[in-house]
Amino acid sequence: MAIDLPPPAAPAAAVASLPTPVVSAALTDTRVRVTSSFSGARIVLYGAVFDPADRPSDVVVIVRGPDQPIRMARKSRVAGLWMNGRPVVFKGAPGFYMAASTRPLEKIAGFGVLRRLGAGVDHLAINAPTEQRVETRYGVRDVVVSRLGADYLDWRRAVIRLKEKARLYDADSQGVKFVDHNLFRAEIDLPTASPIGTYTTEIILFQGGQPVYRRTRSLTVEKVGLERALYLFAHERPWTYGLASVLIALSAGWAASAAFRRS
Amino acid sequence: MDIYLPIAEVSVNGLLLVILGAAVGFVSGMFGIGGGFLMTPVLVFMGIPPAVAVASEANHVAASSTSSVIAYGRRKAVDFRMGGVLAGGGAIGSFIGVEVFRWLRLLGQADLVVSLSYLIFLGVIGGLMLTESLGAILRRRRGEAPPPRRDRRPVWLYGLPLKMRFPRSRLYISVIPPVALGVFVGVLSAIMGVGGGFILVPAMVYILRMPAGVVVGTSLFQIILTTSLTSVLQAGRNQTVDIVLATLLLIGGVLGAQLGAKLSSRFRAEELRAILGLIVLLMGLNMGLGLFVRPEEPFVMMQGAG
Repeated sequence: MAIDLPPPAAPAAAVASLPTPVVSAALTDTRVRVTSSFSGARIVLYGAVFDPADRPSDVVVIVRGPDQPIRMARKSRVAGLWMNGRPVVFKGAPGFYMAASTRPLEKIAGFGVLRRLGAGVDHLAINAPTEQRVETRYGVRDVVVSRLGADYLDWRRAVIRLKEKARLYDADSQGVKFVDHNLFRAEIDLPTASPIGTYTTEIILFQGGQPVYRRTRSLTVEKVGLERALYLFAHERPWTYGLASVLIALSAGWAASAAFRRS
Repeated sequence: MDIYLPIAEVSVNGLLLVILGAAVGFVSGMFGIGGGFLMTPVLVFMGIPPAVAVASEANHVAASSTSSVIAYGRRKAVDFRMGGVLAGGGAIGSFIGVEVFRWLRLLGQADLVVSLSYLIFLGVIGGLMLTESLGAILRRRRGEAPPPRRDRRPVWLYGLPLKMRFPRSRLYISVIPPVALGVFVGVLSAIMGVGGGFILVPAMVYILRMPAGVVVGTSLFQIILTTSLTSVLQAGRNQTVDIVLATLLLIGGVLGAQLGAKLSSRFRAEELRAILGLIVLLMGLNMGLGLFVRPEEPFVMMQGAG
């Protein structure tokens, strides 16, 4: 995303006479450890707005998990049976997405600004590249046409609806709260199904409908301990893992029958 | 007691899994079926990805079947030779089945074929077993003699080449029908995520004409071989076996299977078949009828990006 933002230490004279507003923020935890008792996590983000001019500010917090392609199909009725249609692969969808803000996003900034920032579930760049082709229409070259046609929006909304149902997408227009003068707080709820990987947390300061300052914090969700050992075993030595699991099964069966025979 | 499963990547109640394993293990030991057709849908309903449910379930079935086969083996109720021949066919079938399933997943039709297979096979077999065994129970109540057993040996069973002796089953038949049966069950088990006992048990009684006493043990023995192979294949090729999930299920499963195998000798064979028929029929209808109902959510998200 190419947006010209004033650098943090920009000399005040370069912009105007007013000094640049700055945001600083921190997460209570930057590593989420997935252990066998993992049942989701709640991370708190704290931050402060430093603006000598004290202009009205809005804060938007966007958390994106690692991208995961989505495969979806639509059911339709064929000969009395509800069947899946041809599956469509969507790319560019994050495995986790949360947009929290101090006010509803559409009140903070205009459509174009939000679209460029990818702020809000409606502005995620989810598309189905294999369903698209580029053609010339009405003399305009390089028009992207989706084979999904007019239904494209239905598909997009379905992606978001299903992800929201799994608590992996969330938009909270009151998720960022100013708890004290210039000090704000937001909560990030990671459900159990949260993908493993690196998450980026972007804190954007809006003034007068424009993003004036951005700060990024990263967050890692990783398996640790036994969970990690088993996961690595299963992926690095899959055949040994398979044999081991069968051995456990067979010996457990044998042990139970031996125990019952004695009793 | 919620436990996060490392491969399935979901959190489930561990105690619930042990109890589920025990309940299905009990049914398994009692009726000589793997119980996969009961467990797989329940696991999927609990939110475990279908691919992981199918693969880990194979492991659980292998454990509870081992536990009961040893019990049956002591009573000399297992025809190991017949089980081996069936499993040979089953191995070929599961290789084919895994490929078919992969292709169906690419087409996005795996759900449909799974639901239809459940509806057709469980529905038909459950229905047949129920009618047959209820008939037998009614006749016994009325004090009628059982219908004369048709002893005319079917030509296709005895006339084919490659004859083999199965002393435990007191049969001398061609190996082609059991191998073909094994292949068929192997394909189905890879697609439906089941051991295939619910098809094998009636097929051994009605098609191979094996004595009822060895059918259950032999079916379970065949299931051990097939599910062990499936488990290793699934882990090796797809990394979908969740060892924590499988272990929780099999702790309950092996205990349940022992109880089931002990209790099964207290019931009459036709009563057991009637109950099993009813369970099979209900499960088939439950899985399949969903196809005829307008779904609340027309879109489905699928596992894996294909």
